[in-house]
Amino acid sequence: MAIIAQILAGLGLLFVGLKIMSTHLQQATGRRVRHLLRTATRSPFAGLLCGTLAGAATQSSNAVAVISGNLVRGGVLATRDAIPIVAGGNVGTAALVFVAAIDFRLLVLYLVAMVGFGFQFKLDRRPAFKEWMGVALGLALVLLGLDYIKQGPRALDVSALAAFLDTGISPWIGFLLGLIAAAVSQSSSTPTILVVALMQSQVLGLDDSIVIVMGANLGSGISAVLTAGELEGTGRQLCYVHVLVKAVGCLLVGAVFLAAGWLGAEPVALLSQMGGGKASASLSLLFLALQVAGAVPVSFARGVTEAVAARLSPPTMEDGASKPRFIHERALGDFATALDLAEQEIMRLVKLLPTLLPDLDQQDQSGPAERLALWRGANAIGVAIEQFLSDLIARGVPRGSLETALHLQALVETVRTLQDTLHAFTEVVEGFADLPPLGFNLSESLRTIILSLADATDGDAEDLDLIITLAGDRSDLLSRIRRQLAASALGTGEDARQLLLATSLFERGVWLVRRGAVALRAPENEANPVVNAASGEARKREEADAHRT
Amino acid sequence: MHIEREQLGSEVVLKVAGRLDTPNAKPFEASLMEVVTTTDGGLLVNLAGVDYVSSSGLRALLVAGKAMRTAKRKLTLSSLQPQIREVFDISGFSTLFEIT
Repeated sequence: MAIIAQILAGLGLLFVGLKIMSTHLQQATGRRVRHLLRTATRSPFAGLLCGTLAGAATQSSNAVAVISGNLVRGGVLATRDAIPIVAGGNVGTAALVFVAAIDFRLLVLYLVAMVGFGFQFKLDRRPAFKEWMGVALGLALVLLGLDYIKQGPRALDVSALAAFLDTGISPWIGFLLGLIAAAVSQSSSTPTILVVALMQSQVLGLDDSIVIVMGANLGSGISAVLTAGELEGTGRQLCYVHVLVKAVGCLLVGAVFLAAGWLGAEPVALLSQMGGGKASASLSLLFLALQVAGAVPVSFARGVTEAVAARLSPPTMEDGASKPRFIHERALGDFATALDLAEQEIMRLVKLLPTLLPDLDQQDQSGPAERLALWRGANAIGVAIEQFLSDLIARGVPRGSLETALHLQALVETVRTLQDTLHAFTEVVEGFADLPPLGFNLSESLRTIILSLADATDGDAEDLDLIITLAGDRSDLLSRIRRQLAASALGTGEDARQLLLATSLFERGVWLVRRGAVALRAPENEANPVVNAASGEARKREEADAHRT
Repeated sequence: MHIEREQLGSEVVLKVAGRLDTPNAKPFEASLMEVVTTTDGGLLVNLAGVDYVSSSGLRALLVAGKAMRTAKRKLTLSSLQPQIREVFDISGFSTLFEIT
């Protein structure tokens, strides 16, 4: 029983350690990884290399796929560019398998001691060390867990167990075990590390381990698609790239094994020889070979990969709607151009605002699913603009440009809040089986105001003044409507509650329109020194007024 | 939708009846803009016969209102039914136009 408890404890430490390490690595290196991936568009080789480094840095091919998916949806990368990165992410995860293959008992003890002293001296509270202390703790737990797993079976009659396993595991059962273990752990490296540990304890031989690792390799690809859930379009395409890397790797390595057998060679003996007679080193090499054999063809034939992935998961409307049209990474080098592009992108978002509301008057109106996709897409563009402006400010912009950048940051924040408010309002309106007249009036009124704001982005200052007037305070009117609603026959029903919610969201939406129009009006004033000289205080008053109303 | 035009001194009166919805918005806007471009007096839009107004109808009025404002001329709305008046109040149009 003690042996089983020790192995289970080792597994527990391994899982917790991997989770902690991956999370803290992503926190510690996430920004650099993101930057690294953005520069990976030059060639498939560059993408593969960057993906490998990112996979090694995060120890999670899923994390690399998720970051790449976000960059594709944000328009920073094309799907074609992301394919070698996702493929390379798998290669990078082989690093931990190699670490597990070395004899690290002494290293683990020193590492645990170092981490413990680090926490005792509060290094984990210093911003510079915080995440790296988490990484070290995770790594210590992983290695400690592996050591438990390795030490556990030593009390067993290993030769008898090995003999049993040798006769009891057929290649197909081994393959299936690996596949299930990877599907459960959602990782190919975790079962492989476990197999390495069991090999070091001489519980498993190289023959059995090879098929288990190949099963685990394919299993992690399948689990990526299974865990993708309702993910559609580009996000799901990258999951299929993941499967392709794993499947192609298994096929090619399997084909080499079969071909070597037909040619009279002993493939297992060859692999053992390549590992210098150390079974764990041989298995680590096999794991690396599986990743490289899958990643290289999938990356260099990325046109075919993209076509296969797009066929399996066609791009959705959300994918199209979430791509920025103006901002791009290279523009960050020129402040004036970057600010101009950011402003154009924000104006585009403002023009898209009417698509988030239902057009109750139109027979051929777009459906709720389409509007939801447009809202998500518009939201993604908003996030991309915020990131773009943050990156620009972090580069150290001149004082004049900094004011404009901060102004644009405030504007995009208002637009994003307005997007969310319109989406919430639309959900309430579309929730009615039979929309009451007040709901119709609120919806069409808000649509008119939003359409006018969208039109004003191409107009002059007078158009914005008109919007500011149109979006003036109407709290008295809405309070009266709410009182009438409470006193009406609808008063206590669900419809009344939803209508009250609609009035609140309407009021918030109008307030945000006014705030946005005031902010849009400001740059026009700045361009006119005569107006500007007198309007600095006036602008502040207008903005304060917009806050109050 | 039905529109009747009358000349009262320097002022043009448009009597509108029916629905100011998407299909009718363009002809309604064209009628308003014709008055804006071919006359130089005030414009009174009598909406007594209008029982439905959507965002398209409101936008047609907004276009004409802006043109009249630029020309420093007066556009007045009159005789709104209660449910139509509510739309004008909620949308803020009551603050843009003189309503009698």
